Amino acid sequence: MTVDAGTIAIQKIEKAAHQIHTLLGLAESAINSVSVGFENLAGQTGLVLEPVAAIISCIEQDSFRSIISKVESLSVAAKGFVHQRLDATNGILETVTAEARLLERLSELTRGQRSIARETQTLSVLTNIEVARLGQLGAGFQYLAHELDEFSKAVAQSTKELAGHTEEHKASVNETKRNLAAGLPRFRLEFLRIEEDLGCALAAVESSTHQLEHAPAMFRTGVEEIAHQIAGVVAAIQSHDITRQQLEHVQEGLETMVGKMTGAEGSDSAAEDQHPLVSAGLAIQTYQLRSIEETVNQWVDQIGACLDGILRISSTELGIIGPLVMKQESTLAAQFARIDELEQHCQKENEEIQNTFTGLSNLMQLVSEHVEKSRYVRDRLQLLTFNSIVEANHLGSQADAILEISQSIKRISITWSEMTDRSAQAMTEILELVEGAKEKMKAFSIGGNEELAAAQAETRQAMENLHSTVVCVVHLAATVEESTTRLQAKIAVADTARSSLAASFSAIAFALEGIEEVRTQIEHDIPNAIKRIDRREVEDLFSGSYTTEWEREVMQAALSGAPLPSSQQNLAGNSVELF
Amino acid sequence: MKQILTVDDSASIRQMVSFTLTKAGYEVTAAVDGKDGLSKAGMKKVDLIITDLNMPTMDGIQMITEVRKLPGYGFTPILMLTTESQAEKKDAGRKAGATGWIVKPFNAELLIAVVQKLVK
Repeated sequence: MTVDAGTIAIQKIEKAAHQIHTLLGLAESAINSVSVGFENLAGQTGLVLEPVAAIISCIEQDSFRSIISKVESLSVAAKGFVHQRLDATNGILETVTAEARLLERLSELTRGQRSIARETQTLSVLTNIEVARLGQLGAGFQYLAHELDEFSKAVAQSTKELAGHTEEHKASVNETKRNLAAGLPRFRLEFLRIEEDLGCALAAVESSTHQLEHAPAMFRTGVEEIAHQIAGVVAAIQSHDITRQQLEHVQEGLETMVGKMTGAEGSDSAAEDQHPLVSAGLAIQTYQLRSIEETVNQWVDQIGACLDGILRISSTELGIIGPLVMKQESTLAAQFARIDELEQHCQKENEEIQNTFTGLSNLMQLVSEHVEKSRYVRDRLQLLTFNSIVEANHLGSQADAILEISQSIKRISITWSEMTDRSAQAMTEILELVEGAKEKMKAFSIGGNEELAAAQAETRQAMENLHSTVVCVVHLAATVEESTTRLQAKIAVADTARSSLAASFSAIAFALEGIEEVRTQIEHDIPNAIKRIDRREVEDLFSGSYTTEWEREVMQAALSGAPLPSSQQNLAGNSVELF
Repeated sequence: MKQILTVDDSASIRQMVSFTLTKAGYEVTAAVDGKDGLSKAGMKKVDLIITDLNMPTMDGIQMITEVRKLPGYGFTPILMLTTESQAEKKDAGRKAGATGWIVKPFNAELLIAVVQKLVK
């Protein structure tokens, strides 16, 4: 290296030292801005994280978490109710159909009884004629004619009444039957839809509850992550203290070399003697500056990651909670409305069926009375038959006609007796059907379905808790949103400080450029100059002021030509040693 | 509320120590070097001191030596918070009366735990 070249090299090193000196001032100011910005940001982050923690607490409440099991119970109870209702509707339809058939039989019987009443009336007229023809001899049969007339009238009246009611109830039963038969497919479809909707609602509630169950963990992870990153930033800002000292030591090292080179200035041989030491010194400072660059990049990234994390937890992820809880509430409310609607519909239908059965019970009362009367008529007819036959036999051939009438009365009496028995049988069967139907009607009764009622009550309670959670979450989310807006402004300030800090350290590249130029020149003039040094002398010269083991490690790597040690700057912080 | 004195010539370190310990419920006073630290310790009794080693005007070792002479500071915990990790420096700190040694950067949780333990 010529004398001129040596002077240029000194100037370049002096310039690099000056650049580092300037950088130290700028970096100090930048790190203070980052530090203040971060402290403000951390304070604001606390204001965001507090309501987030409260939201987590709301969601983690047992009463809120139990909603899914309540809805499951309700779903099972409602499905059970629907199935029971369908079975009962089928059963009642069968009952009503059977009742319609029995009423038809009753109608036929009343038609037969009316025919008998007409026949009895005819016999009464014939008996009167015969009594008139027999004169004094037939006086004993006057009573028979009168009785037949009375029976005929009574039977006709009772039968007419019964027939009227029977027809009326037949119409009512047929109407119910038609309604049930027509409604059954519709009910089945509606019930299936309700069952399906309940399934969907349950799936939706399960899904959102599942999401909500994960939310606390998600938030907690986010909050822990931020706490970890804040700790990292605290460590990163402290690392500046190490970096600052490292830069000061580089500056001192460069000034030392300038001193050595200036002392040798004017003598080529003296300057050449200094070249190995200067080359080694430049290598050490290059390594130190590169390790500073790496460290600075690490903690600038750490601050950036922390800012991103805070922003993410405070805005994006929180946004899902409110809508999720509200969606869950509205899904449940809709299904509750459907179940209420179903119950009301069932209630209305119950009234209609109850009316039909009440009417049937009244009719059966009438049938019962009619059967009683019929039995009395049967007994009287049997007695009349017996008496008239005895009397007719006593009169001999003159009373053949009366005998014939008596035989007719006997035949009528037998038929009447059969009809009475069949009426009683029909009545018994109808009564049994009514009793069976009443049993089935229990399934139609809302109060009768205790399981559904209990599930509804429990789910309503859970829904109230859910609603409280919605109110709590919405309120807290609003607080978080307000704090987030303020936080974002502080994040922007901190981010600007971070950028300024990163920019101020970019001056290292310029300093490195000048140092590298000088070192390349020396290596060009004296290849492998660094290998000619007295290592101990170089170490003593440059490491006297070193305050960290890290600087010493970097120096050793530079002198041995090893790669730059990977910066293992522990941003999580070092341990504590107690004496 | 327990009183902590942090002594460091780096403003950012003072700020981070204050930030960490204030959040943990301590009242923190800051001093910019050993001389300032000694003065503040003399004015108001503190429960614990955290000090840097290399500082202008008065370094950490000198400050500890002087603080130990102050009335009521015989057993007050004093932690060294420094970039230095050499054994001879630690030994000097211990001889001067330091209670513990923390190499920068400190771990916030660990610092809180140690402070809690020492001022209990």
